[in-house]
Amino acid sequence: MKPMLSTELNTPDAVVDKAKIEVKNLNFYYGQSKALKDISLSLPERSVTAFIGPSGCGKSTLLRVFNRIYELYPKQTADGQVLLDGQNILDRSQDLNLLRTKIGMVFQKPTPFPMSIYENIAFGVRLYEKLSKAEMDGRVEQALKRAALWTEVKDKLNASGLSLSGGQQQRLCIARTVAVKPEVILLDEPASALDPLSTAKIEELIDELQADYTIVIVTHNMQQAARVSRQTAFMYLGELIEFDRTEKIFTSPREKRTQDYITGRFG
Amino acid sequence: MSTASSLHHSRKRKNSVMMVLCVVAAGIGLAWLALILGALIYKGLSGLSLAVFTEMTPPPGDAGGLLNAIYGSVVMTVIGVVVGTPIGVLAGTYMAEYGRFSRLTTIVRFINDILLSAPSIIIGLFVYELMVRPMGHFSAIAGAVALAILVIPVVVRTTEDMLNLVPNALREAGTAIGAPRWVVIRSVAYRAALSGIVTGILLSIARISGETAPLLFTALNNQFWSSNLNAPMASLPVTIFQFALSPYEEWQQLAWTGALIITLTVLGLSIFARSLTGRREDR
Repeated sequence: MKPMLSTELNTPDAVVDKAKIEVKNLNFYYGQSKALKDISLSLPERSVTAFIGPSGCGKSTLLRVFNRIYELYPKQTADGQVLLDGQNILDRSQDLNLLRTKIGMVFQKPTPFPMSIYENIAFGVRLYEKLSKAEMDGRVEQALKRAALWTEVKDKLNASGLSLSGGQQQRLCIARTVAVKPEVILLDEPASALDPLSTAKIEELIDELQADYTIVIVTHNMQQAARVSRQTAFMYLGELIEFDRTEKIFTSPREKRTQDYITGRFG
Repeated sequence: MSTASSLHHSRKRKNSVMMVLCVVAAGIGLAWLALILGALIYKGLSGLSLAVFTEMTPPPGDAGGLLNAIYGSVVMTVIGVVVGTPIGVLAGTYMAEYGRFSRLTTIVRFINDILLSAPSIIIGLFVYELMVRPMGHFSAIAGAVALAILVIPVVVRTTEDMLNLVPNALREAGTAIGAPRWVVIRSVAYRAALSGIVTGILLSIARISGETAPLLFTALNNQFWSSNLNAPMASLPVTIFQFALSPYEEWQQLAWTGALIITLTVLGLSIFARSLTGRREDR
């Protein structure tokens, strides 16, 4: 299928909300090799969108375009348009650090900074805001509560972030991301390194967060996509195959390849 | 069955032979270290007294201490480390962070490796030409510069290696939260690599505190107390060199004692450096 033929299909019909992120004809290259081919889709505000597909299909690559984190590495380039509230973030004039305060990201492996739990959260806040001690305490508490971690760590805020369990570390990373008050949260397989209980907690959290944030989650786990997202994009070999309401993707996909993937025939 | 069992037996035999060879080799290596330490302690300990740390190097045939030499060693080592460390850390930071994918890094790393294994006497001669000849006299500052040049490659290497060990995911996480690159380096990468970088600095101190050759051509030596950086200055290694070659018994004794002091200092630094990295691995 050529994605261009179905621009209207790329906006799920049940979703009439304003688009937070609009991707238009996006191509992405690792050196010479093309990893994303002419992707166009539109992500509605304050809801969860899942990217699914087999390894190497480009779902993480697409996610990493949204905050331009790929720019850490030379030879990775993108062309096309990614509009955040109508502003093209791929524009050269886009300030990357400001962009990243608006678009937070949580990674596959928990990545607490080598500092205390408190500092892990205060670090990001301090970059762009000058808060008094009391205000900062409040912000840290609020963020930890938001990430459902407060009760577990409130008595040891000065302990190293690395002393927490994997699931707690991942919630700390979510707290850290929420603390800088982003508009969009990108989750790159946030639960794939965690046990089922921690995964359930993270999923619960995603469900709560979508009231305030636009969330994009990349996942290998189709059940997870089905549980947490409102719309799902299926990608394959760098192409966007199908993008629709989640229940439609999982019950009556238009494309045979989507059908094959979700029924486990490949991937 | 019998083939398998005989195969098993022959492997077991080979294993025992190889293990014995390995143990013997390790034993030979360790024996030298034990002999050196033993000789130093045996010969040096008897001369160790308060006078060593309070009195100047004596004229031949007199009793005295090593105060001026210890002082000179400390001063030149400290200056060498203070000058060499920032250069080394910054260069290592460039190579591991800003210039990670650049050609310049490959070139710098290659040259740095050569510098790392350059004989220290060459460094001494270089500084002699660079500073001693133009200034017209030997000086402590020239000695400190020679030591700094020895510090730089060690610190560059360990800083780069330690920063390369910091997972990229951590840098991405810092970047993703909106931190500019220098903040990510300062607050995340340095923090994660801190114990390793400090270890590198300690090892560089250990390396230069025993160096004699670069000081022979630069700081020379001084029989008397001198805190003038623009004049020749005594140092433990050069004093040991001079005293050990002398026919005077008091001097020879002081040389043994000085050697013991240097060895214990280096040993202490190495153990401290080890404990720093060890703690990191425990975490």
